Amino acid sequence: MMASKVVLIRGKGVLKEGGDIDQKKLLHMYNRGIQILMDKQNPKDCLRLIFQSSDKVGIKINTIGGRKLSSRPEVSFSLAGLLQESGIQQKNIIIWDRTNRELREAGYGLNLNRSGIKVYGTDTKGVGYDSQLTSHLNIGSLFSSIQSSKITASISLAILKDHGMAGVTAGMKNYFGAIHNPNKYHDFNCNPFVAELFETKLIKRKHKLTILDSLIVQYHRGPSYHARWAEKYEALIFSLDPVAVDHVGWQVIEKLRAKKGLASLKEEKRAPVYLKTAEKMGLGKANPEEIQIIEEEA
Amino acid sequence: MKRRQFFKTAGGTTLLASTGMMNRTSSFPALLMDFYALGGEANLSKVEARYYKKHPDREIECTLCPRLCKLGDKERGYCGVRENIGGKYYTLVYGKACSIAADPIEKKPLFHYLPKSSALSIATAGCNVNCKFCQNWEISQVRPEQVQNYDLPPRAVVETAQKYRCPVIAYTYTEPVIFFEYMYDTSVEARKKGVRNVVITGGHISPEPMEDLTKVVDAIKVDLKAFSQDFYTKYVRGELQPVLEAIKIVHKSSVWLEIVYLVIPTLNDSADEIRKMCQWIMKEIGPDVPLHFSRFVPMYLVKNLPPTPVSTLEKVHKIALDEGIHHVYIGNVPGHSAESTYCPNCKNNVIERKGYSIGKIALKGGRCKYCNNPIPGIWI
Repeated sequence: MMASKVVLIRGKGVLKEGGDIDQKKLLHMYNRGIQILMDKQNPKDCLRLIFQSSDKVGIKINTIGGRKLSSRPEVSFSLAGLLQESGIQQKNIIIWDRTNRELREAGYGLNLNRSGIKVYGTDTKGVGYDSQLTSHLNIGSLFSSIQSSKITASISLAILKDHGMAGVTAGMKNYFGAIHNPNKYHDFNCNPFVAELFETKLIKRKHKLTILDSLIVQYHRGPSYHARWAEKYEALIFSLDPVAVDHVGWQVIEKLRAKKGLASLKEEKRAPVYLKTAEKMGLGKANPEEIQIIEEEA
Repeated sequence: MKRRQFFKTAGGTTLLASTGMMNRTSSFPALLMDFYALGGEANLSKVEARYYKKHPDREIECTLCPRLCKLGDKERGYCGVRENIGGKYYTLVYGKACSIAADPIEKKPLFHYLPKSSALSIATAGCNVNCKFCQNWEISQVRPEQVQNYDLPPRAVVETAQKYRCPVIAYTYTEPVIFFEYMYDTSVEARKKGVRNVVITGGHISPEPMEDLTKVVDAIKVDLKAFSQDFYTKYVRGELQPVLEAIKIVHKSSVWLEIVYLVIPTLNDSADEIRKMCQWIMKEIGPDVPLHFSRFVPMYLVKNLPPTPVSTLEKVHKIALDEGIHHVYIGNVPGHSAESTYCPNCKNNVIERKGYSIGKIALKGGRCKYCNNPIPGIWI
């Protein structure tokens, strides 16, 4: 059986003193990550293997953590730039999350113009949630109309964080921000809800790529920001396998926890068991033996 | 965006104000009052919640209901209306009603509590369970910023009830437990003005707040959704035992209690389950607490089942009577004879009902007019 490839690109110095981003370095990290992931030299060609030029691509970011622990604008727009270079029209790229307030607090300027890369939240007037429920297994939710009708392909550009209930929040759980009632799916370590939500047609058929923004990793007391347990990790993690990449993210968190003398998530009874469920559902690999991790310093 | 809405009354029942931002349309039959409605995050309250513990690192633990949600900063509870903001817990729906209506008290249903009276009924968004058959999911299973909310602080609720001659305020439609602070303060305000308070709840609440609530309200109707934990786990996402404890707390207090059981074909309608529930009622709260068996209609996430056959309702009705419960009703079947109240002694019809309409009332001083047997309830 073919292993799922996960590419972890470290970029020492990508976060400069004071927290600014070294844009050049960040772009290099992106290029290397995508090149290795798709096994092609030219990043433009790589993305063409994933997206059609006619696609309307949604970049689902996570801005709940405020300016210190959200998908940064530099990270999102660099990815949008690469998409453009690969042939996706600027007007067909949406960077989005659930609310405009959270987007603004994370440093984004909203853009609803017809031209240009769009940035807005589901709560934008005229956007909102679907009127029809999507029902699948234990899921019964209204989807953001961005996910359901404004995009044809989706990237989960998630923040890698510890999560008090889920254990880990990463690429798959990022889609909790695409529905109207995420609060209903946090019981039992979010299992099986994360996997079942991902398996809905509106996500599974559109999701193409996961990138874990691991420039800063909150390895304890997440998902909110706590400087004491936030590590300057300076990495981006890429995969086409939504389960494998989250599994690798989990291991990053466990290593950081061990390094700091903290109990493992398993010991704290909050291991992200939804990954195993997702694997059983055929959504990806959660067995380390079936995951090929390629790590590189950019 | 601010919006003024006017509601008109028609035929004595009504004014409805329940609006969502999910492309739903609502019709408002008649003018009763005007409120300012606002959707989105701009119209949420930030009033400190009661019943929670503070933990290190800005974490909190909500103790209002049996879920005991443990939340980090910026996280919301299961109910979706209470949020940890910087280590302090807030209710986002205090004074923010999303639905307002004047209903007959029989619609709650409360059959032994001030028959024929009109109840000003309010709700906010949110719920602390997720019943797969919820009839009001468009307001109960959403976050408050996803509906339009009306600024209606406690005093305004009471004034509105008085203005429209509603002797009762009902906290209903969604789950009042999740707007506990709003309900409690409104109840206190209402009592000062001689307006009574009734609560329509699933009873999924911790003992302490339930005990506190019984000190300020007058009647509570509890939806007992099944008599098995398995059903509560699969279809309610909650716990049965705390609901039973809540029922016992209400029964021990001076608050009037009625119980409703929504009978869903194949899921909670077995004779065995119904009999066990009735035996529990007889043992723990006695034969005089009215028990309503309501007819299910397909809704929300349970659309694959038919409406409850009337024959099933009649079967469970008989079981309850056989077990000794005095006042057993069949609901959502307008015109059925089991909508009326019968004297358990002489068997005469003492309150005639057809739907929400009341016919003859043959009670005198809370007793059967025919045989003088006391009929439990709050009649004046």
